Amino acid sequence: MPSTDKTHFSRRRFLRNTGAAATVLGFPTIIPSSALGNADVPAPSGRVVIGGIGIGNMGRGDQGAFLGNKDVQYVAVCDVRKRHREEAKEKVNARYKNNDCAAHVDFREMLARPDIDAVHIATPDHWHAVQIIEAFRAGKDVFCQKPETRTLREGALMVEAAKRYSRVFSGGSQRVLEDYRGIVERCWRGDHGPIKSINVEVWPPSQACNLPPEPVPDDIDWEMWLGPAPWAPYNAKRCDGNFSTGGGSWRSYIDYSGGGMTDWGAHHFGGATYAVDVRELQPTDIIMQTEGGKKFLTIQYPNGIQITHNKPGRGNMNVEGTPGEKKEPKQVPKYAGQGGISGDFIECVKTRAKPFRDIESAVNTMVVCHVATIAYALGRSLKWDAAKQSFTGDEEANRFLDTVRRAPWQI
Amino acid sequence: MLDKAIEALKTYDWGVDPAVLKPIDEAIVTTHGNAAGRNDLETRLIAALQSECPQAAKDAVCRSLRIIGTAASVPALSVLLADEKLSHMARYALQNIPGPEAGKALIEALTKVVGKHKAGIAASLGIRGEVAATASLQNTLADSDTATARAAAYALGGIGSPDALKALTAATARPETKDAIADSLLECAENLFAAGKKAEAKAAYAKCLSSNPSKAVKIAADHGTAACGG
Repeated sequence: MPSTDKTHFSRRRFLRNTGAAATVLGFPTIIPSSALGNADVPAPSGRVVIGGIGIGNMGRGDQGAFLGNKDVQYVAVCDVRKRHREEAKEKVNARYKNNDCAAHVDFREMLARPDIDAVHIATPDHWHAVQIIEAFRAGKDVFCQKPETRTLREGALMVEAAKRYSRVFSGGSQRVLEDYRGIVERCWRGDHGPIKSINVEVWPPSQACNLPPEPVPDDIDWEMWLGPAPWAPYNAKRCDGNFSTGGGSWRSYIDYSGGGMTDWGAHHFGGATYAVDVRELQPTDIIMQTEGGKKFLTIQYPNGIQITHNKPGRGNMNVEGTPGEKKEPKQVPKYAGQGGISGDFIECVKTRAKPFRDIESAVNTMVVCHVATIAYALGRSLKWDAAKQSFTGDEEANRFLDTVRRAPWQI
Repeated sequence: MLDKAIEALKTYDWGVDPAVLKPIDEAIVTTHGNAAGRNDLETRLIAALQSECPQAAKDAVCRSLRIIGTAASVPALSVLLADEKLSHMARYALQNIPGPEAGKALIEALTKVVGKHKAGIAASLGIRGEVAATASLQNTLADSDTATARAAAYALGGIGSPDALKALTAATARPETKDAIADSLLECAENLFAAGKKAEAKAAYAKCLSSNPSKAVKIAADHGTAACGG
């Protein structure tokens, strides 16, 4: 694509196809602060000072979880909607019985505060990569609601930035461990024998949005809501945070979300990759197939395991194993600390360990969502090169690797 | 169907059902591998872009050219880089069009466009890895607009070439651009490390550490220095 002989990512901005991902510089992803001789992370006995970016809807729930954690000191909120901002601020002040919580419209003000160790993010998806990478650059650890990425390139750059700045990251899909535990335990215990495949049912992808202009309410900073997305006139349905992916919410529209394919895909594919133990891998082949007039995908991993998407007649999270053959049982990973996935994050911020849905697990899951979406959009099978982070032999598919951000936003 | 969709672009304003343009998306899929069909589709989209159709229509055309645009689309897109309302969507297509024409158009625009869109143009050059843009981006590091200067710094990191590293090393970091320059120096250092050039990588890390770095940059540079052998 560029007029150079480099790849589109210009350097070695890539993940690899194996667990070697953690060793770009020959070091583990997370290194203890003591090894670096700095005091930029909380002492193990200290509280984690945290702020929240995007605190309506899912952010409200995340804020409640962090406020309830005895190891957290919550000091600031940020939202482009005044109502959300004020409500969240009052909630913090009521919790601590003071008026100390700061309220920001621009997340960069929060990231500039040296007293903040970590942020939780629950903005619309088109903001995630910019805010996550800026937070890493500012030395903050990050908890971000799923879907963590909007594009393939965002994931690669997020992994790179987390490594560069030695940051702890947790994605926010609680369902991966909590909703699918039974399926995961059966797979890891060996009940199915060696696993051949698992089917995921999730739909639809996001759609074009061309809603008519409406007056911009005083309550919202519309330019900051749009941020890196293409300019568009305000419409309440365009930016509504409800959970619909079929229209009438930002989750439905292509500039802000991948629709059901990423919104629920982050959960379902996350559960599937966990159950069949390919969270450390990225797929190699995305094979378009048709059965009974219905298109579906087979997503092939380098170890031979397959994830099918919407294969007719299989059902969600349906596992195909090899009955009668033995598979050595493995211990199912658990959250660290107390308090579910948010507690896992806080514990890992303190210990510098890898959270359950760490940056690579999150990104590897989102890769499945994105390559599947691109295959459906182009109506053909694709080959994915995880080392190069590009599609092989399909220049057109490579044009879907990323979006183009509106100035001044970039990653 | 495609004829109707192309015709619909003339009046495609905010609020019109996007389903009227769906045949264009379908044509993108069905003309894959069909050079004549693609050429016809691109020609018709370029004509729409050069017409007086509404902004929403031109946005939609740029989205399609992002996928199928070739050098033939570059002239029509490049004139929009200075357009207040359409600059971003012009980049939306241009950034993804392979070949030297799109890169050249972006480099030329970097020296001509002023205001907020200049930052976007710099960013696109970095993502494309346009080595030929290095000198222009080096000049842009001194831009009085902070966002533009930062964008140039990140773009040089994206290019990551030896000349880009030299430009970053020579830059006089202002407080508002210091962290962007440091991030790109770190990126260049990682490239060098990955290429086995540990001494050069260590020098880039040393440059980061010598400029009163933030704690975050210090952690990263210390980490990198240690990886290079202390």
